[in-house]
Amino acid sequence: MNRRGVLSIAAGGVAVFAALGVALFFLGEFHRLSAIQQHPRWVYAGLSVVRDTVVSIRARDVGLPADFAPEAGPTGARLFDAHCRACHGAPGVAPDDFALGMMPVPPPLVETARERPPEQIYWFIRNGLKMSGMPAWHLRLTEAEMWRITAFVEAMPLLTRADWLDLVAAPGDDSARVAEARTGAAEDGPHDAERGRIAMQVHACRSCHVIPGMVGDPDVRVGPPLGDVAARRYIGGVLPNRGDALARWIADPRAADPMSLMPDLGVPLPLARDMAAYLRTLSSSNSVERDVPSESSR
Amino acid sequence: MRSPALILAGGLLAMPATAPAQEAAEDARALVARHGCGTCHVIPGVPGADGRTGPPLDALERQPYVAGVVPNTADLLAAFIADPQGIDPRSAMPDLDIPAAEARRLALYLRRAGREDGR
Repeated sequence: MNRRGVLSIAAGGVAVFAALGVALFFLGEFHRLSAIQQHPRWVYAGLSVVRDTVVSIRARDVGLPADFAPEAGPTGARLFDAHCRACHGAPGVAPDDFALGMMPVPPPLVETARERPPEQIYWFIRNGLKMSGMPAWHLRLTEAEMWRITAFVEAMPLLTRADWLDLVAAPGDDSARVAEARTGAAEDGPHDAERGRIAMQVHACRSCHVIPGMVGDPDVRVGPPLGDVAARRYIGGVLPNRGDALARWIADPRAADPMSLMPDLGVPLPLARDMAAYLRTLSSSNSVERDVPSESSR
Repeated sequence: MRSPALILAGGLLAMPATAPAQEAAEDARALVARHGCGTCHVIPGVPGADGRTGPPLDALERQPYVAGVVPNTADLLAAFIADPQGIDPRSAMPDLDIPAAEARRLALYLRRAGREDGR
């Protein structure tokens, strides 16, 4: 075949793919962004097949703890109440008002529990599901807690509304327990820059700051860009940037400045140290000069 | 060759639009130089303003907050420049005894500068 023939076949192929893409976009109604309207039935079915196939493959890498068993205990119920119930509801209890307007609506988990093995439920809890509203709890709950919730979900099909209400009414200070859970989410080992980057992802740092190495709105300026924050003289405009200052600022901004609009994101200090380690890698690779407009650009 | 009359007419048309803005920018740059703002901040349009003690001021018009503590209005930005500790007692930004009128001009310049720089 001559070169022109190959080229025209290639061009034809590209045209066919482009046409298919446009057709999929409109027939699939991907331009309808309102959360009132569900996908067309066939798109819904297609997305479900992809999700279930991918999750069943990914969940094969999840190691079930040796002592795992479904358990409807008060600890699991409290964890579920604090982290899941608002969106998923509980036996005989509707989700909170806001969750009813979500698209997709978070499913009631009794059915999930009957249909999915614990490895898959754990996978969803740990990793979340992109664009579904399901968050990743990785680094914000301990492994033990994510398994505790998995065990509770797997036991949920056997609970009545009265059982659920009894379990969450059991005495104990919920807020203290949740705080404890978060503190336990990170062990204070060597500071791991890559874990810090992931931790910044699951604490939404990129929503307010431009951070090299993380995708997001390139123009966001709710907080300052963090590309050279580790090289700056002051953190948050108040804290001399010495030693552990950056990590302490991340863990508790208002301890350094009660007026600060930087919110407390519940980052335990060990995890904040990982984040600081990641931010330090940015300012050592980004030279000072790079951030300064050059003489010729003026 | 253009006639002198055309050049004059062009100059008159251009004058009212650009001259005051340019004057204000030059005035603000002089204030930046006099008060040494560039020692601690990157400031667009000001050669040598490349400090990194404080944050870069290259996109102030897009920042919702000033110094991370108050909403970014022209008034609050000017007040912060004139008296940082009056806004936030903990602020590390030094009080440079900048008169209110000058702070106001600096604030207006900074809120415009990022845009005019084409960023």
